[in-house]
Amino acid sequence: MNSPAQAKKRSVVRFRTKLVAAMMLVVSALTALGLYFTQRKVATTAERDLQENFQAEVVSLHKVLALRQTALTERCGQLVSKPRIHAALEDNALDLLYPSAKDELQDLMEGQELSQAKGASSLHARFYRFLDATGAILSPPNPKDVGELSTEAMAHLALKKLPEVQQIGYVSEGGDAAGGAVDEVMAVPIFSTETGELISALVVGFKPLEIVGGAGLKSGIWVNGRLHLPSLAKPAQLALSDEIASAITKSDRVQNNFNVTISGAPQLLFYKLLNPESVFPPAYEICVYPLTESVAQQRRLRWQIGGAGALLLLGGFMVSNFMARRLSVPVEKLAIDSERNRAALASTSEKLKRSTRYSADASHQLKSPVTVLRAGLETLLRCEDFRPEVYEELSALLHQTHRLSGVIDDLLLLSRMDAGHLQIESEPVNLSQLVDEWLDDLSALPDSPEFRIEKKLPVGLHVAGEKRYTSLIVQNLLENARKYNRPGGRIRVSAHENANHVVLTIGNTGRPIADAEQQHIFERFHRGSIRSAVSGHGLGLNLARQLARLHGGEIRLVQSADDWTEFETCFRVAQPAPNRAS
Amino acid sequence: MGLRGLLFFNAIFALLPITVFADAVVEGHVELPKSHSAPVMAKRYEIVTIGGVLSPQPPLAVVYLDGSFPKSTTTATKQIAQKDLAFLPSLLPVQVGTRVEFPNLDDTYHSIFSYSPAKRFDVGRYRPDERPIPSEVFDMPGLVTLRCDIHEHMRGLILVLNTPYFVVTNPEGRFRLGGLPSGHYALKAWIDSKTTREQPVDLKADTVLHVDFP
Repeated sequence: MNSPAQAKKRSVVRFRTKLVAAMMLVVSALTALGLYFTQRKVATTAERDLQENFQAEVVSLHKVLALRQTALTERCGQLVSKPRIHAALEDNALDLLYPSAKDELQDLMEGQELSQAKGASSLHARFYRFLDATGAILSPPNPKDVGELSTEAMAHLALKKLPEVQQIGYVSEGGDAAGGAVDEVMAVPIFSTETGELISALVVGFKPLEIVGGAGLKSGIWVNGRLHLPSLAKPAQLALSDEIASAITKSDRVQNNFNVTISGAPQLLFYKLLNPESVFPPAYEICVYPLTESVAQQRRLRWQIGGAGALLLLGGFMVSNFMARRLSVPVEKLAIDSERNRAALASTSEKLKRSTRYSADASHQLKSPVTVLRAGLETLLRCEDFRPEVYEELSALLHQTHRLSGVIDDLLLLSRMDAGHLQIESEPVNLSQLVDEWLDDLSALPDSPEFRIEKKLPVGLHVAGEKRYTSLIVQNLLENARKYNRPGGRIRVSAHENANHVVLTIGNTGRPIADAEQQHIFERFHRGSIRSAVSGHGLGLNLARQLARLHGGEIRLVQSADDWTEFETCFRVAQPAPNRAS
Repeated sequence: MGLRGLLFFNAIFALLPITVFADAVVEGHVELPKSHSAPVMAKRYEIVTIGGVLSPQPPLAVVYLDGSFPKSTTTATKQIAQKDLAFLPSLLPVQVGTRVEFPNLDDTYHSIFSYSPAKRFDVGRYRPDERPIPSEVFDMPGLVTLRCDIHEHMRGLILVLNTPYFVVTNPEGRFRLGGLPSGHYALKAWIDSKTTREQPVDLKADTVLHVDFP
């Protein structure tokens, strides 16, 4: 008794553990999902903020650049409309070109020393040159007056064709592969006021604007495969230059941004083509924005989210545990009840099986000795040397063996039904004919009391069932009607079809069944006390009802009072088979 | 012969070449290019540039007798004024050695200069009341483009000629050039900076020769 209780306890504990595990799984999944979405939202927000900050910085930088370029453009535009420059070019006085320009561009070139010292914030030019109609540089008489240039820069300045519109370019001063000086160059076309033709161009070089903006934004120029970002160390410039080169080669976008690492620190790099469709080599503005703070902030946030997640999980675990305990109480009770019910059911079923097996075995075991007994008695009866009273006794004994055989047959049939082994092979059975045959047999029986038979039966009434069992039902009911009748009484047999059923009613005169007994008459081995004088073994009605039910029908006692007892049997109706009228 | 007689001689002597050569007259018509603007009562002439050709607008021509003539011993003085931000006249033919003054009749600064091969000069910025009036002597024949350093649209032309015999046609192209010496010459009509037409002429004393430049 101890072991099943422990097993039950173990199984309840198992159930509780499983419940906790399942709840934890759900809590964990929800927490993970929540964390994932929070993390994603945080990352998106951080990215957006970063982009906004960065864009704001870049936009302000571009505003400064645009303002400066507008100023430069205007200034250069004014310069090339100077009458002396036009006069020198148009009146074939090239020797006067640079001297005239020197006067005109004096203010532009003035203070260039100062501008270099101050950085590139001023609009002072570092150099200027004129190009002839073929795009070649018109050599100045004194390069010092117009700003000296390296050979490399000169080579970049000379153009294959004069530009028709103002152009912006960037020209390397030469020097190292990275970090060398670069000049922002504005080429302004000069059209002859006389012919309207493009006769020359003024190329003015400025120190490019380099801004170290807020939040550590640095800007520089990338041109001819070189990066000029003086605020970066040379090795970093070299490494970055290659990255930019590959990014620009891969993408045909005029502007883009990507993440880079400079000296171990993550940075956002932005590039933008400065001079689209220019006669000068393409130059890109490069902005580098440090991500260190953003990354640190994201890491902090990730830790915070992780911590919050852990707390949530812990809370979830505690709540799950508590809930599991609460929830498992009724389930535990249910489990225990169910276990009990299952055990009871198994025990009942086992008992039933045992009982059925016992009945079957007993019946089989009894049948052989009874047969032997009957055979012995019949042999004795055939002897002629007994006294007449011995014959009577032998006859009585033989009759008892017949009864015993009947009981054994009924018991066998019942046990087969209880075991569920009885299979019905349904076929149309002519009920009318069956009743007629049994009524004939009934009246032919030797010890039958005098009674009258009233029959009200349609001809050819067919029911569905196996003939011998249907016959057994009818036999049992008619036998009872005969057995429990009174002398001079009557038996009434009637039948009618009702929807899908055929109802057979058999009534007989005689002492009615007492009210208290009526509910027990279908029980096995029940025999009314008043009927002890009547032969029988108390199995007939039970057997008939079991068989009727097996055929999808029913037997019930309709009435038993005032000298009249009536049973009603339901059969399933069957269409008569055309060739089997029997 | 006193001072009076000397003066008379001098006067005779001075007029002598004129009286000797001032016989022939050439008159005619120059077919001027079509005006680019609608014919209006144009009072001012401007120098315009079309396809790299400088020409007065409305069209005018300078007709002159080409040849080798003795230089003037005196320096003649002519004027090109700046009025209403334009040169007036916009086209001035002068004989080599003529001084041209550039009076400023506007109430703003002007700065007249030229980078033309025939004459490079730069009078610099000057006010209307600048005295003496800025001037230049044009001692090489050729076309001189006048510009103002302050007003880039301003253009003026001075046609410096070797000859003292020249005249500007009227707007219809008619001209009359008198007092010409007898002889065989080339009569030229300057129409614009790229176009000068030429007709050979035989000039006889007391004769009026009719020459048209088609």
